[in-house]
Amino acid sequence: MNETLWYVSRATGTLSIVLMTVVMILGLVLSGARQRAGTRTTVIQGVHRSLALGMLTFLVLHIATAVAETYVHIDLISAFVPFTSPYRRFLVGLGTLGADILAAVIATSVLRQRISQRVWRIVHRATFAMWPLTIWHGIAMGTSNEPLLRGTTIACAVAGGVVLIWRIAGSHRDSARRREVLRQEWT
Amino acid sequence: MSLVALLDDAGLTGRGGARFPTSIKLKSALETGADLIVNACDGEIGVHKDALVVAEHLDALQHGADLLARRVQWAAHRGSATERRLRNAGLRVLPVPSRYVASEESALVSLLHGGRARPIMRQAPISTGGKDAQGRRLRPTLVLNAETVWRVSQIERHGAAWFRGYGTAEEPGPRLVTMGGNVDRPGVYDSEAGVPMRDLLEAAGAVDVRGVGISGMSGGWLRGRDAWAATWSDAGLAPYGIPTGTGAVHVLGRSACPVDHLAQIATFAAGESAGQCGPCMFGVPAVASQLERLADGVLPAEEMLDLHHRLGMLPGRGACRFPDGVSRFVASGLRTFSAEVDAHLAGECVLMQERAGATR
Amino acid sequence: MRRDKRGEDEVVVDRVACTAHGVCSVVSNGAIELDEFGYPVPSRLTMGRRDARELVAQCPARALLIARDR
Ligand code: SF4
Ligand code: SF4
Repeated sequence: MNETLWYVSRATGTLSIVLMTVVMILGLVLSGARQRAGTRTTVIQGVHRSLALGMLTFLVLHIATAVAETYVHIDLISAFVPFTSPYRRFLVGLGTLGADILAAVIATSVLRQRISQRVWRIVHRATFAMWPLTIWHGIAMGTSNEPLLRGTTIACAVAGGVVLIWRIAGSHRDSARRREVLRQEWT
Repeated sequence: MSLVALLDDAGLTGRGGARFPTSIKLKSALETGADLIVNACDGEIGVHKDALVVAEHLDALQHGADLLARRVQWAAHRGSATERRLRNAGLRVLPVPSRYVASEESALVSLLHGGRARPIMRQAPISTGGKDAQGRRLRPTLVLNAETVWRVSQIERHGAAWFRGYGTAEEPGPRLVTMGGNVDRPGVYDSEAGVPMRDLLEAAGAVDVRGVGISGMSGGWLRGRDAWAATWSDAGLAPYGIPTGTGAVHVLGRSACPVDHLAQIATFAAGESAGQCGPCMFGVPAVASQLERLADGVLPAEEMLDLHHRLGMLPGRGACRFPDGVSRFVASGLRTFSAEVDAHLAGECVLMQERAGATR
Repeated sequence: MRRDKRGEDEVVVDRVACTAHGVCSVVSNGAIELDEFGYPVPSRLTMGRRDARELVAQCPARALLIARDR
């Protein structure tokens, strides 16, 4: 039983990372598309939003099983408060921190129509910190003797990294023009 | 009598171009305890009246501002003589970058609150306050043109009846008009609604008149012969689809090519969009580049349809009225100077050929 | 101000926020069209309350607003 939990935890953890990466890539494609096509954007946005919620299931499962199994000692507190775990304090903490940021990103997105766009944007940008933390947590911890899981995580890191670079390298002419005008004297 | 009632009796409307009743603005400003920005930027091209009011009537102007609000800021273009005069008088100056849209009402309010001098998208009048795109809180702020504030002090001193002794029943009061372009005596003139435009043109020494531009980039055009015959008032200019607006009159002589003039102003406008609203930041440059090609005689006639379509897409599609103004200005110019436009499409504009010859 | 479910709402485009994603055109089934640069036409549109809500929620830039003062 305990062993099963341990495996479920690792599997759902890796799955969470895969989904998280896909969601992030879709988000980057949304904001970084050089050309905008309404239909494509609508579909990508729909998948981006529902997959983000879907990922939550696996993440919750991952955290719950990690706490439940007694193979190593991770308590309930360290599932929410980063860097409090008795077992591998730092690496578990990375994951907890990532999950906390993710919770904030998702909560602000669900409430997006009620909060200021600025708050939403700032929190959403925290994804840029959350994702590497999580990848680090994934590579360094759970997958050390499982080449399949480790390979998947590394593939996620590479894919996400490539799209990140593509996103930073350019943008739509709307953003380009806005930036250009913003550099003029306005104060 | 309260100042609101007095201004209402007098029928004072904003002298900055929008012609909104000042009494209504003041009433809501008093209710919200709004601050006042006196706009002395002369933001419209070809307008110099605010500079004149500050230079020659600063005491009366200050008196007017004191009547309207307790806290007053004086907006003037950075580095201008007006800015220096206001500073020398010990007034609180809001230095405004020398940009066309920077002196728009909501842009000034944004600047006052530490933001950029760019217009703000709003669902309620900016005078009632609100929030900008960065989430900054904006206090209720009344923005009035310098001439308007000066008129307030005059009305308080001389009464509503005195004010109504000028102008027409619908457009009462004295008004400043800035004459410029191909005239012997450019400058600011005391005038009023209802006078023949011939008087204005003669006073400024206009002789050779191909066309007349009214109210800079927020107005439109009159053919020379219409200008000599028209009456200077919103009602008088309504048949031509243009307002008296900011009170600028720009005379274009026969030696000037109106299409080239339109293209130059449109290109200037393309650089002045605040780069916030898509239809404006892409639409205005697209219009300008077509006009440039028209002026050079290389625009295919079929593209005129595109040009008119683009002009039709500009109004009502920005956070401010800038694209609306540019659209009306260009459309009016194309209509007024249709003969010259046709000559350009046929490659037969004499002035254009001379220009091309000179550069060859 | 009446706010029942079957009423109508006016959706307005926040021109500063809109970044030409074009989603509004798809979600509104073409009731909103896009200009040559990808920005929506018209600037305000009245529609059923539920459709309006849906449309507003779908704009990636949160550039669609329900008009106030109705
Ligand atoms: S309409 Fe043009 S000038 Fe006005 S705020 Fe928008 S981008 Fe700026
Ligand atoms: S979906 Fe939003 S951002 Fe995209 S074009 Fe429509 S209003 Fe603009």
